This record gives sequence, C-alpha cells and structure tokens, in this order.
Amino acid sequence: MNKKILLTLRFVLILATVLVMTYSKRGLHVFAPGYYIALIYFVSNFILYFLSEDVLSKQFVSFSIFLFDVVTISLGIYFTQGVETDFYLIYFLVIFVASIGQGIGGSVPIAIVASIIYGWMIFRANPGISLLDSKFLIRIPFLFIISLVSSYWSQSARRELKEKRELEESTRKLETEVARVSAKETELREYSEKVISSVTSGVIAVRSDGTITTLNPEAERILELHREDAIGQNIKEVDRISALWQKMEHSMNSGTPMLREEVSILNKEDESIPIGTSISPITGAKENLSGCVAIFRDLSEIRALEEKLKQTERLSYLGKMASWVAHEIRNPLTAIGGFAQLLETADDKEKIKLFSSEINKGTQRINNIIDDILAFARTKRNVAYANINLKKLIESITSSLTDIKISIGGDKPPTIKGEIDSIRRLYINLINNSIEAMDENGRLEINFTQDSDYYITEIIDNGRGISKQDMKKLFTPFYTTRQRGTGLGLSIVKKIIDEHQGKIEIESNKGKGTRVRVYLPKEPKVDNTAP
Amino acid sequence: MRKRVLVCDDEESIRLLLHETLKENYDVTEAVDGREALRLSSSEPFDLIIIDIKMPGTHGIEVIEQIRENNKNLPIIICSAYRLMEDDNVLKSADVAAFVTKPLNINTLKKKVSELIG
Repeated sequence: MNKKILLTLRFVLILATVLVMTYSKRGLHVFAPGYYIALIYFVSNFILYFLSEDVLSKQFVSFSIFLFDVVTISLGIYFTQGVETDFYLIYFLVIFVASIGQGIGGSVPIAIVASIIYGWMIFRANPGISLLDSKFLIRIPFLFIISLVSSYWSQSARRELKEKRELEESTRKLETEVARVSAKETELREYSEKVISSVTSGVIAVRSDGTITTLNPEAERILELHREDAIGQNIKEVDRISALWQKMEHSMNSGTPMLREEVSILNKEDESIPIGTSISPITGAKENLSGCVAIFRDLSEIRALEEKLKQTERLSYLGKMASWVAHEIRNPLTAIGGFAQLLETADDKEKIKLFSSEINKGTQRINNIIDDILAFARTKRNVAYANINLKKLIESITSSLTDIKISIGGDKPPTIKGEIDSIRRLYINLINNSIEAMDENGRLEINFTQDSDYYITEIIDNGRGISKQDMKKLFTPFYTTRQRGTGLGLSIVKKIIDEHQGKIEIESNKGKGTRVRVYLPKEPKVDNTAP
Repeated sequence: MRKRVLVCDDEESIRLLLHETLKENYDVTEAVDGREALRLSSSEPFDLIIIDIKMPGTHGIEVIEQIRENNKNLPIIICSAYRLMEDDNVLKSADVAAFVTKPLNINTLKKKVSELIG
C-alpha cells in the first residue's frame, strides 16, 4: 500500500477512535489511560511518517501495524468501557484498512485477533453471557464478513489497478517500440538515401507505370533533371530519355535484368549522350511498389577517349603504312627502273620481251599494293549489294591453282548478297593464306553450309597452322608471319566482313591446318548511316 | 678469269635484274634465300656477294655474320629497300663494303661492283 494512503487511512482511524472514545461511557479525560492510548496512537502514526515506503511495504511490518491498531483500539474500548457501545464498528475500519493493505491474507488474521479480544471484553463486561447472544452471533461474524467482502473488493480493485498498470505499461512499451522502430526506419531510409546518393553512377527507379520514385545526384546530372521536379513525374513525359525508358519497360515486361546495355539519350541541347546501363526489375514488392531500377554511367568521356585512342591508332597505322608502302613499292620500282634501263641497250627480241614482261609484273605488283592500301584505309561506306553465285566466284579464284588438291562441297552453293569486288578480294586473301601455309601435299577443302541467319563458307587447309601467339594478332594490321606478307590481308578480310555485317571464325592447330568459317548474312540490313 | 658474283634476293625479278646487269662482265650465281646463300658461299669461291636484308628464313644480317666467320675479306654489298637510318646500329655495324638502296640505278651498281672487284 502506498505510504501516503496508509498514513491518511490510519489518521482517519485514529480520529474515529478518539471520537468514539470521547463519546464513550467514561469519555476521554486528560491523563486518564484512554488519553495516553489516544496519544500513543497519534504518535505511532507520526513515527510511521519517518519510515520508508520499502519498510512499510513489507508484509510483516504492515501486519504488525494493523495488529497494533487492533490492540490499541481494543485498549481504548477497554479503558473507556465502550464494549457496550458502537465502539466495535472501529474494528470494521481496521479490518477494512488491512484488507486494502494486505488483502484477505492480512484482513482475516486481523479479524480473528479482533474477534478474540472483543469476545473476551464482552465476557468481561457480561459474565455468564451465552455464546448464542446477539452480541456474539451478530457482531463477531460481521467482523469476518467485512473482512472477506472488503478483501474481495480490495483484491478486485487491486487486480483492476494492476491490470490497468500493466495495460499502461504495455501501452508505454508499445509506444516506445513504435518510436524505436520508427526511428530505425527513418535511419534506414536516410541510410538508403545516403547510399544511393553516394553511388558514383546514376540511379533512377520508376514504378511500373513510369512514375519516378528515386533519382540520385549523378542521375540528376546525367539526365539533366531536378530531383524536386522529377520525383513523382512520369518518365514517359521526358522524351529526351525515352531510349532509357524503353529498355526499362522491356526489362519490366520480361521480368529479367538487362546488363551492360548501351543507349543514347539527349541532353537539353539535343546532343546525343551515350550511357551504359544495367536495369533490374523490382519484383516481390507490393503491386504499387513494383517497377524497375536502372544504374547507368555517362559514357561520353570514355567514348571520347576511345575516339582519341582510335585516332592515335590510326596515326600509328599511318606511320606503319607509310614505312610499309615505301619498302613494298621500292622492290617493284627497282625492277621497273632496272629493266627499263636494260631495255635501252637490249637488241635481242627475246630479251626485250622478257624485260617488258618484268616491267609489267612490277607495275601489277604496285597496283596490288595500292589496292590493298585503299581497301584497308577506306572508311565505312554503303555496300552496293548484288547477287553473287559463290561457287562460280570461288571456282574462278581457284581455277589457276594446279599444285594443290581442291574440293568444293557441302550444301547447295548459295547465291549471296554482297559487293562482287570486295567478296572476291575476301576469298582471294583467305585462299592465298591457305595456299601459302601449305607444302606440296596441300589439300584445300571448301564447304558451303548455312544456319537460320547466315550462309557459311568453310575453308579448310592442311597447312602449317597458326601458333597461339599469332592467333591473338590475326587481325592486327601490318602484322605478318611471312617475310613478303603485307600484314594487311586479314585486316582487309575483317573489314569486308564487317561491311557486309558478317562474321569470321578461325580455328587452327599448329602443324595440322586451319579452318576458317565466313558467315555472310542472308538478309543484310541496308545501312543508311554511312557516308 | 672472270670474277664470280653471288646474288641473293627472294624476289625473282630482282635476281633476274642483277643477273642481267652483271652477267656481261661477271659470272653470276643466284640464291633464293639466306640458307642457299650460305650453302653456296661455303662450297664455292665467290669474289663478291650482293644480298638483300629482309628475306624469308634466314635474315640477311645473319647470313653476313656467318659468312664473316670463315671469310673476313670477301666484299659484300647490301642491296635493300630499307634506308640506312641514323640509329640503325645493326646495319651500320655490319661488316660490308657498300650499302645500296632500292630502287637502284644499274649503272651505279655496275660501277660499285667494278670498284670492288674490278
């Protein structure tokens, strides 16, 4: 029981006792025993005032207090001869207070003690009284009834109070938990935002309808959007970045991520900005949260660097080409100049014919070199497509080869679409490479096959093959393993294949031979972007 | 007795040109590559060798070095499409009598050969 309540109730109890003593048979007189009892009673409450709540809340302390109360009140009754009066009602108050303080466990023992003392006093005042007298039969049971009822009431009240406190406590805990979770959520959200803001790539997230939900500072910079305006805006409204939205929409519809895609968006000045992006659909969330997120980087700088590198490479090739041209042309020039000088003094018809023929060969050689240079150096251009009977073309190339065995087989030879001169040069270069790699037992096999998109020509030789080291540099201009090779043959092949939107595969076993597969598209796309 | 000249170049036209140019005054033998030049020079006596640098198989400089192991005094003329660059130490240090660059004037070559072996 609360100390304050205990002291207050006891004070009421003391006042009630003093009041009843005052109006008792003998009344309350100064220095009479009742006077001292009242005084002791007052003083007891005063002493309790100095005891701590902890001490007072102990079971035996509070029980002792109520026992003291019963004894004091009984003495008061005894000395004022109030046993015949309504003084016994004070017991009800004590029992009531004890039940509030200690429940049934405290009030019943107090009721027993009070009954014994009060019963004894009735006997003393009425010797020979029957136990069936109304003084016993009504008053004493009432002490117990009050004890039980008040205990029941106080326990109910206490239980309710406890439940109320528990409810308050759990409410308080719940509120604390809510506050904690809310703080944690705020912290997490701030952390996520911080993480997204700190990413050096652009990050944009949209709902499935295209509403922008997230935009980090790098994304603001690359896309030239302001976060305050863009969040909540529909990405579809920003035409400049429609290419990015198309990729995002595709990723959402297919439910699969897209990795390292490259798209071009426009800046506010209508300049094209290449961006490299990876897109992931956001799945597993509620419907209104599903959508997708794109992470992207501005590739302008990389593209500029690549362009610079290409420029440097071009200059490097130019230097190599100049040196190569000088060297390659001097040999036939020597022959042309030398035989021309010899012609001046030649009088033999056979000699004149021989020297003239050598001059022609030299001229032809120079012409071939110029063709190679032009084929290698020309910029991207539109291919003038024509139908080419591939078998006829290859037979015309191989018809003059008599030293090696040639077989042409496979599927029905296709009629491909291509530029006749380029395609001829492509096959001449590849077949020449095979022939030069073969010895006297050379065998060249040419097969035609196809898949759904390409006509495939396989050129298989049993020549000396290509080493792993050389394989890496196959298409590097001016790289040659032959002393008289130009180093441009496969570069030109690659260029022609690229122009025709085809592809090439080369497999080789050193010492065993080489297999080249040329893929030319069945339906090449007409490219209008080339100059 | 006519002097003997070994001409080594992988280009048939160049061999023919040198042969036709020199055959009036000298006995000319042709080698198609460095290996053949080494074989011929070790088995037959020559008064002069005219050799290209860039050839299939054995490089001209290697051929010269191997010839020099047995014959310190044999005059050798390098006939190449390369220009002798300032920093081309390998060529500069090659122990040769002359360096003729292509395209060459056949009269200049004749004169050079004549100066060396008469």
